[in-house]
Amino acid sequence: MKNRLKVLRAERDWSQADLAQRLDVSRQTINALETGKYDPSLPLAFKIARLFGQPIEAIFQDED
Amino acid sequence: MTAASNAQKLSPRARRALILMAVGAPVGFAAGRVLVWLKRQGYWRDLEFSSSDVVSLGLATFLVAVGLVTMAVSLSRKALGRRINGEEETRAATPAQASFYAGQGGVLVLAAVMLAAPPLAGALFVPLSPLLASAVMTGLITVFLVQTAGNITLWVRSDELMRRTMAETAAVSYGLLQGLLFLWAAAEKLSLLPPLTLWDAVNVNMIGYLLISMIVAWRRGFVD
Repeated sequence: MKNRLKVLRAERDWSQADLAQRLDVSRQTINALETGKYDPSLPLAFKIARLFGQPIEAIFQDED
Repeated sequence: MTAASNAQKLSPRARRALILMAVGAPVGFAAGRVLVWLKRQGYWRDLEFSSSDVVSLGLATFLVAVGLVTMAVSLSRKALGRRINGEEETRAATPAQASFYAGQGGVLVLAAVMLAAPPLAGALFVPLSPLLASAVMTGLITVFLVQTAGNITLWVRSDELMRRTMAETAAVSYGLLQGLLFLWAAAEKLSLLPPLTLWDAVNVNMIGYLLISMIVAWRRGFVD
């Protein structure tokens, strides 16, 4: 699954550690999400969507 | 160009490695000299270990080293912050992160104690009396219970990526290692391979688990 996490983070000038702190996850989790090595759980995806004020499908796109 | 300016160009990781080498080499040399002196004076007798015992002691040494380094880093929230947030990050780790990493180091050290105690007890106390063996076993059960509680606490405090990594490691380890165990047992039954002791199986299980956990962690992006 592709996502726009890195772009959204960069727009706000947040580091991976900044975003991790806001989402209450580790910095490694943000890195794994951004590099496509890990797809978030639904609760985390909702949390990310709420934080950026966008619907989930605007942040995460199915690669099919 | 001076040595000082060269040193400043090194990355923090390379500087740390150099410092560790500079400290480790003389400490290792001195420890070796002390052991040779002890042996010459007759204070040290050769301990007899089977190859399986040597493997478990090697594993225990590795685990205790990683565990102690993790615990040591967790003592400095600034150093831990750089470790988990990247070298460029200046913020210190939170107290919760520091205690989490200290806990991780702690369970590794306890795992090392559990792996080292049986072969060491058998080699240090010859013959090993039933009373002493029972005392060692009681201690082992206690350490096992504390370590299990520690592992459960770490699971509860982990975020979802860490839990996924632990769950995948457990699933792959189970599938692979029980398959290998079956194949070895079948070959042993057919007299094609030598018999394994349960302690051998524990060693294989531990080595397999460590390797699988490293591969899963790497695949999941724990290594930048």
